Amino acid sequence: MLKNVEAQSCYYGMDTVITSKAYGRYAKRALKAAAKEALRLEKLLSRFIPESDISRINRSAGLNWEQISDDTLEVLSQAGKLSNYSKGLLDITIAPLVDLWRAGKDTLEIPDDLRIKQLLPLVDHKGLELNFHGKAAILHKTGQAIDLGGIGKGYAGDKLLKLYKKYDISSAFVNIGGNVLTLGRKPDGSKWQVGISHPREENHLIGTVEAADKAVVTSGDYQRYFKDSQGKRQHHILDPSTGYPAESGLVSVTIVSDSSTAADGLSTVLFVAGKEQGIELLKNVPNTEAIFIDTDLVVHITAGLTDCFHAVRDIKVKVLN
Amino acid sequence: MVILGIVIFLVVGMGGALLFTEGERREGKNLPIDNVDFKRLDDGTYIGEYEGGKYKWRANKAKVTIKSNKITDIEIIEDKVSNTTEIKNKLFQRVIEKQSLQVDTISGATITSKAYLKSIENALKKTKEK
Repeated sequence: MLKNVEAQSCYYGMDTVITSKAYGRYAKRALKAAAKEALRLEKLLSRFIPESDISRINRSAGLNWEQISDDTLEVLSQAGKLSNYSKGLLDITIAPLVDLWRAGKDTLEIPDDLRIKQLLPLVDHKGLELNFHGKAAILHKTGQAIDLGGIGKGYAGDKLLKLYKKYDISSAFVNIGGNVLTLGRKPDGSKWQVGISHPREENHLIGTVEAADKAVVTSGDYQRYFKDSQGKRQHHILDPSTGYPAESGLVSVTIVSDSSTAADGLSTVLFVAGKEQGIELLKNVPNTEAIFIDTDLVVHITAGLTDCFHAVRDIKVKVLN
Repeated sequence: MVILGIVIFLVVGMGGALLFTEGERREGKNLPIDNVDFKRLDDGTYIGEYEGGKYKWRANKAKVTIKSNKITDIEIIEDKVSNTTEIKNKLFQRVIEKQSLQVDTISGATITSKAYLKSIENALKKTKEK
């Protein structure tokens, strides 16, 4: 009976809303601990908090090494691996361009092309060097800066789930601004039902995914965007090679995987890569499935999701080989 | 029927975290409050404002209704930017299909809602001023 005690939480953290539900004798305690952990991680990883590890690394770009925490080292390391694997489709040194486009959002004007080209050389993940023994990091070029938007929440999710397990929680979900992680199944034994946002219809879903012990992370062009003076959508997932919002023929990518860090990073990578290249990239990543939604709102799913993805009616679904 | 319940608590010290309980008035039920540490909220309607910080265009007001120590309604009013019903729906992950598909949570729906939570928090602070 105590095993099914339910606790829920909803709070603001990591620049978004974090909601969670957990079952277990220590569920309430686990949620409170998780809230604290989320804030602790934000203080390390957010480049908008002046004393965070990331902010210090950014300020010391082109100057000196900065000592960092184990967590920061781990995120930077995983991001680096994914950057190498994807040949730069994910690049956390994208911050200077992110800032430029954010300024554009205020004025609804796209940044000057010349300015974008000036900043592009600073986007270079190879400029970030890590010292694992000394637990330190350095950005080699002046003006370089890190933004963990493409992978930070994913990392936090994995940490929160580890925490739940410490509290003997075997049934829970965490949702960090749309990054969903599931732990076990629901108390009635059924899998968690994770809705996938419809990329073009507010307050609608395009389908659902059943999940148990899986992360379900979505990157889409509808999450943070503005429409410029020409009425064109300018979304937030920048292509590190062009400096512009990625135009890969996709409006949304969902990754279903064991690790939420990997899922978060990969959803960014595959969105920039597009469907064809994305499928290729998935080939060497174990236990990972994907949902690609193209500009015609056709849903393409990898074969492993055949039984767990259910589209809402009138949505066209194609299964990839 | 899936009852949408959200528990928000105020974390002392490192600002920004809130837990509260919202009852679904339509169903005439209020969610039970788990034994969460909870300062007593006096009945009434409170309006909280948030300037919008760096970008003033985030300015908005939240109207919070408390009944029997529970938050029974939250309305975002006076929002310069967006359709407030849409924002509220996103905040509470209300999608049309949620109940019919028995969805537990939603992937992909994000909202830069700091401004809204801030005004709700400010409304809640007023409940203690009585």
